[in-house]
Amino acid sequence: MTDVPVGRSGPRAGLRLDPRAKLYLLLLANLLLFFHVDTRGEAIMVALFLLPLFAAGRWRNGLRLAVLYFALLGLGLWSDAVTLDGAGGGSGGSLISMMDGGANVGDGTAAAWATVGHVAGLLSVGIRMMMPCLITGAYAFTTTSISEFVCAMRRMRVPEMIVIPCMVVIRFFPTIAHDYRQIRNAMALRGIAAGRFALVRHPVQSLEFIIVPLLMNATFVSRDLSVAALTKGLGIAGEHTCMTVIRMRWFDWATMAVCTAPMALAIGGVL
Amino acid sequence: MTQPNVSQPAQPASQRSTQQPAPAAKSSRLAIPDLISIGIFTALYFVCVCVATLVSTLVAGAGTIFLPAVAALICGPVFMLSVARVGKFGGITVMGVVIGLFLFVSGHFALSFVASVVFPLAGDLIARIGNYRNRVTILIGYVVFCYGLTGPILPLWFMKDAYVASLEARGKSAAYINDLFSQISVGSFFVAMVAILVCGLIGGWFGQRILKKHFVKAGIA
Repeated sequence: MTDVPVGRSGPRAGLRLDPRAKLYLLLLANLLLFFHVDTRGEAIMVALFLLPLFAAGRWRNGLRLAVLYFALLGLGLWSDAVTLDGAGGGSGGSLISMMDGGANVGDGTAAAWATVGHVAGLLSVGIRMMMPCLITGAYAFTTTSISEFVCAMRRMRVPEMIVIPCMVVIRFFPTIAHDYRQIRNAMALRGIAAGRFALVRHPVQSLEFIIVPLLMNATFVSRDLSVAALTKGLGIAGEHTCMTVIRMRWFDWATMAVCTAPMALAIGGVL
Repeated sequence: MTQPNVSQPAQPASQRSTQQPAPAAKSSRLAIPDLISIGIFTALYFVCVCVATLVSTLVAGAGTIFLPAVAALICGPVFMLSVARVGKFGGITVMGVVIGLFLFVSGHFALSFVASVVFPLAGDLIARIGNYRNRVTILIGYVVFCYGLTGPILPLWFMKDAYVASLEARGKSAAYINDLFSQISVGSFFVAMVAILVCGLIGGWFGQRILKKHFVKAGIA
């Protein structure tokens, strides 16, 4: 029961990595976050992480992420420049005083700019640090089919107790979207929460009216799915086989090696 | 269902429903139908988390730290129904693990995986005390479960560290940096944690009310 791809990854989707290699890239991205690699190393790693996205033929997605990253990089550099120009001691005080809701003491615009710079810097650093994870996550999410994912999990000896719910979760998302549209239609028909902001105006009511039908339907779907899955032999003991074959090929190893090298250098402080 | 009416002692109230396909053996271990139910409730929970992310980011730019609190507020019904339907040890834990896995794969910090295993496991153990029927223990279990979502917001504190490091590298004094961040970090951390507690209680209570109002009557829960 595992043959429909997640997302729009067709058979002609270009070069794609093994799911385990993708997982390794995700781990690397997390390590990057963990070790506070400096900006240069980070930029190199981001460029490397973007490559597989382009290789898989997901140009628009890759370009969007690249532009976002470099915009944040620019913002960070700008804030560096501003905060370096501003008075070192005074600007910190002004930020605190603004936080306290008090009067903005001292040297007017320069300090204000420095404050803006600090806020922008904090934001840009914050989001930029998440970018490697987001890029690898987007790659893993958009280029892996369910069957590949399940096969990789089984190969990594993940217990069936985790594999089955994961499979169901991925399958169930489209159903939720469909149900939600139906519920909203039914609500509109009865004149409940028909306007654009009507849902927000009565949050508790709309939560109840939406989540109760969703849950009702979920219980029925889970019953049907159980019957279907048991009929197809999901409950049989022993090892399950997969339709899709996954194999680590040379470019999987190559990608892993190429991405590990600058990472190790950056953590070691060489780069 | 043409189920032979063998007497089944100590059967949880959740499984009295006649519509359910009876599993071959109603053991205390998770069977395939349980796993499928868990999967479906996890999907709903994940959608709720996404909605919470959207809301907390829209309401306040830095409101991301209240993501677990908002999620706790709206996920009550899903959690309560899943406990009522599954009612076995491991159900809540598997839910947390799967959520953690999805958070990790969709590019969240790896520590979020750890948080979303540890807290649901604790919540599961607490709910188990009341045999998944006592309302109070389930409610406490839900509040603990909600802390499992603190994972995605933990990097905020790491980011602060990174920013501090970059400030230090540019030669700002340590006292200045401490001034800048002391109140922001500790204060916001406690506010976020207390908010989860309060919202968890409210959300759990709301969930139990919904359960009683709609699902017990319909014979589903």
